[in-house]
Amino acid sequence: MTEHFSSISAGMAGKAMLQLNSVTRDFPGVRALDAVSFTVLGGEVHGLIGENGAGKSTLMAIASGALAPTDGQVFISGKPIKGDPDGARELGLAIVHQEPALMPDLTVAENIFLGMPHKLRPQVSGMAAFARQALDRWNPDLSFGPEDVVSSLNPEQRFITEIAKALAAQPRILVLDEPTEHLGAEDVRRLFARIRELTAGGASVVYISHRIREVREIAERVTVLRDGQGQGTYPMDTLDEGRIIELIVGSAIEHPFPEKGGNLVDAKPVLMVRNFSGDGFRDVSMAVRHGEILGLAGIDANGQREFLRALAGRNAGSGNVEVNGKAVSVASPGQARKAGIGFLPGDRHHEGILADLSVRENFSIRSTETDTVSGLVSEQRERSRVRDAVAGYNVKTPSIETPIRSLSGGNQQKLILSSVVGAEPAVMLIDEPTQGVDIGARAEIYRILREIANNGTTIIVVSSDAAEIAGLCDRVMVFSRGQIVRELKGDDVVENNITEAVLTSTTERHRYEKSIGWFWKWAAGHWAPIVLVGLAILAVGAYASSISPFYLSARNFSGMLALVGTLALVAYGQQFVLLIGEIDLSVGPVMGLGVVVGSFFFLQDAGPAMALLGIVMVLAAALGVGFLNFLLTEKLGMHAMVATLATFIAVQAVSLTLRPQPDGLIGPGVYNVVGAKIGFVPVLIFVAVALALFLEFGLLRTGAGIALRGFGSRRESARVAGISPFRTRLAAYLLCSFFAGLAAFPLMIQVGIGDPKSGINYTLASIAAVVIGGASLAGGRGTFLGALFGALMLNQVNVVATFLRLSDAWTFYLQGIMILLGVAIYSHSRRMAASH
Amino acid sequence: MSDLTSRTREKMPSLTERIGEYGWIWIGTVLLFLISWVVAPGSVSKGALLSMLPFAGMLGIVAVGHTLVIQQRGLDMSAAGSIALGGMLVSMLSAWGWPLYLAVLGGLAGGMLAGLCNGLLVTRLSITPIVTTLAMGAVLTGLVRQISHGTPIAAPQALKEFATQRVAGLPYSLLLAVLFIVVVATITRRTIHGRRFVAVGVNPETAASAGIDAERYQVGAYVAAGLSFSVAGMLFAGYIGNASHTAGADYLLPGIAAVVVGGTPFTGGRGSVVASGIAALFMTQLGQMVLSMGASNAVQLFVQALAIVLAVGLRTADFSMFRMKSAR
Repeated sequence: MTEHFSSISAGMAGKAMLQLNSVTRDFPGVRALDAVSFTVLGGEVHGLIGENGAGKSTLMAIASGALAPTDGQVFISGKPIKGDPDGARELGLAIVHQEPALMPDLTVAENIFLGMPHKLRPQVSGMAAFARQALDRWNPDLSFGPEDVVSSLNPEQRFITEIAKALAAQPRILVLDEPTEHLGAEDVRRLFARIRELTAGGASVVYISHRIREVREIAERVTVLRDGQGQGTYPMDTLDEGRIIELIVGSAIEHPFPEKGGNLVDAKPVLMVRNFSGDGFRDVSMAVRHGEILGLAGIDANGQREFLRALAGRNAGSGNVEVNGKAVSVASPGQARKAGIGFLPGDRHHEGILADLSVRENFSIRSTETDTVSGLVSEQRERSRVRDAVAGYNVKTPSIETPIRSLSGGNQQKLILSSVVGAEPAVMLIDEPTQGVDIGARAEIYRILREIANNGTTIIVVSSDAAEIAGLCDRVMVFSRGQIVRELKGDDVVENNITEAVLTSTTERHRYEKSIGWFWKWAAGHWAPIVLVGLAILAVGAYASSISPFYLSARNFSGMLALVGTLALVAYGQQFVLLIGEIDLSVGPVMGLGVVVGSFFFLQDAGPAMALLGIVMVLAAALGVGFLNFLLTEKLGMHAMVATLATFIAVQAVSLTLRPQPDGLIGPGVYNVVGAKIGFVPVLIFVAVALALFLEFGLLRTGAGIALRGFGSRRESARVAGISPFRTRLAAYLLCSFFAGLAAFPLMIQVGIGDPKSGINYTLASIAAVVIGGASLAGGRGTFLGALFGALMLNQVNVVATFLRLSDAWTFYLQGIMILLGVAIYSHSRRMAASH
Repeated sequence: MSDLTSRTREKMPSLTERIGEYGWIWIGTVLLFLISWVVAPGSVSKGALLSMLPFAGMLGIVAVGHTLVIQQRGLDMSAAGSIALGGMLVSMLSAWGWPLYLAVLGGLAGGMLAGLCNGLLVTRLSITPIVTTLAMGAVLTGLVRQISHGTPIAAPQALKEFATQRVAGLPYSLLLAVLFIVVVATITRRTIHGRRFVAVGVNPETAASAGIDAERYQVGAYVAAGLSFSVAGMLFAGYIGNASHTAGADYLLPGIAAVVVGGTPFTGGRGSVVASGIAALFMTQLGQMVLSMGASNAVQLFVQALAIVLAVGLRTADFSMFRMKSAR
């Protein structure tokens, strides 16, 4: 391990490796960083601490080039960097994100490959060995390997992949963002050992955490952030814990918690839960009283959150639930709401707010009934209720019509809280009441919660912050492995007791285990669609040949394969765009345009020069459309469906202008070349197969192919890995149109004349072929061989339907059923194989 | 510097913001009729308008269906099949001797059933909407061909009369379209279910956490779309005089185009069926104006494509400038 870093000279120690000069960053409505300066010296571990939302991750996103600062400069080893992740990486910066920046549809090896700076990047053929080595260096006994697809890994395994990737890049500056959140104790020790090795070699480490003790253990200097402002950099040994906390929160904190509820023993139980079980928890029973705040504590993933979500109808749960003595069902969110259960989720951004809607709409969505007069919502009543809530909960917003996303985290949380209360639930379930909320708003939220409880609502709180539970709750239940293992009441509800109970009850971090049937695991893989569709083609063929001997005739095959070749070519094009998660509707008209353009050049007596010009013109026309599609999506920001719908129409207009009526017979030269056969087999199909193999190889075994799939799999991660969105998208659209242009040549000999309406059906057919071949419309997944097989399958079914003398209705039924069946199997298997 | 940025953020709403996403289409439509009046007076004569309006109405109803599905982040590519099915069912059931109202109910049920299948496949099996509805479109096309054996069926007489008659000088089909749009708009904007529908479209996870059974609204969007398409299909059959298996082909993409031009974004949640309806009028009149100026089909198509690009460009141009500012 050490010889690995010997190349890094010890002379770097003490020099500024990473320097940020008064960096400011604005987001819509919020200033995340305000003139923060930060310097990391060679050979040091530099702690970066602050509360959630203090701006630590934003600062490091700017340092690593993932974000550009609104103002200020960043220097890595003295060189300026601005919003260029690739450049930062080349200068030796590696970052381990709290949410791993991996591309889920790619393998571990491919992700590590893309994460390397160019000079360290292995050959694609050596990618797996390189990744194996990187993983082994972390821990030779890992339960996963380089060939595993990232989406099938659990959070811990993903995080280890992220760390192994960063270490393999031989960083001179390593940024670790909350690294211990996802790691077990053993891996934390491993991490600390690696950090010491790195700094011994002269490299520096930035260690971001909100856990003060951890930072004190590992860091030599520390910088504190509060509300986007730097609070100074200090040698670690000059600060004691109290002083650090003071720097983090701004002042010596006075007690932020309100008076507790007093004696609740005689209060009547409101919520009764008996033998409630679900995914992650089992046989949980409890009675929660009128006006009581109950806290659920435990190490993450021990069932407390899952239990809460099941009560809210968000996860499946079974058992007896009673609210105010009445048995209720919590089988769905709607039923839970009707039962008098209100829910405030922890992940505010993803499931708390309706980001695009106004403060008013976000408030009233949970209690629209109240504003409804004879079936219609009274906007007057609604507004007055919203104004009351905004005033009563002290929500700072310019107006009630402001989109909620432009409010600060604390104000969003207060508004959503007021909305849940507005529905007047008997029981309120609250997951992480103050996550991402600044300290001032935090005290306010505690006060409000106690008020709500005093007014008679029963509250259950899940929180990972023991101090919060201790200060807020009347009673605490500690979860371990899905069950309640301890209950703390009255004077026992203090932080130390809770922390101790949590730590002693769970000796080991819960490990995620999930067994997946071999079939689903295989079916989620790269080759399964090809095998499945191939088998279906053979089965249908065998059946057809048993019905009619003509099926196996040369004439039938010859005709069918020519059609397959045409569809396959355009399907390859469509595959490129689907791989990046977009769609191209214009391919059909582009083929028609190719036929029309060709009809001007491939005349009966066309010479080779004319023919060559024709080929160039057909392909140039196609590429022109591809470029237009790129401009519309990239530059005008249009949705791919909408952009290519516009070009779908416009390209037809061009074809109709060139040939208002079908005209211009296609000359014999095209028939001779494109329609050539070896025996009875059209040369076209050989070309299509060769192209599929070539493209497949490129997709799986070249850097460009991996980058294309990575971009489609997750754009943000791909961008951070230095894949240019601009170039990738340009390439996808140009290649798509190019292949549609190629497909125009075989279409010419099918149509025979410059028909402006030809080719249009190929748009939907190309999508169908690719989808049957296993492509995901979400991007990142798909194969060219699959597209070829999809094209073969579609034509096979058409042919067989005629042999069976089925009505033409049946060709449509079979197409529809084939698509649905194929996609249902693929999407089900991918969900089964994914760890979540 | 910081003063400057905070001041720009609190500035008065710009003209674009005041017109709003759905205001443009009203302005555009008024302008279009003014331009038509100047450059192609023939296209705004009484006769021309009366023959254009029923088509605008039918396209408007189709666009309403598309809007609802797009609000749920979906897309219904089976519209053509549902349109053809609506016309075919009402004609076939009438030919069997069913009274018109029952035949109409049968047509509606057919469209809604197709929508239900779409919705359940999308939500329960999590198949991408485009793929689901593409496949369902193929199945519906097969069904329509099976019913018709490839030849058109005459529409019932009463339906023909309804589709071609006028009241107070306006075609019934237009009035039906207006009524349809007003009802759907009122439901989505002013009722509990409408509010929940929008919330689910904006963010199904948030909606579920707020106690809304999101799946119900997602499936409901497809059912409502199927209903819209079958209504349009029946009107179309009545207007043309017969139901053919190719009836819907000309309405699928124009219907989606109308939604786009109307300003409903593909990002889900927000949307306006009224804007889509007006956009249907806009697109239909645009085609008529261009044709009556003596331009070819090609020019007509070209102008439509341009309308889509401009419609989206106008709305995004302003915002994208904001985005560039904050990104730098």
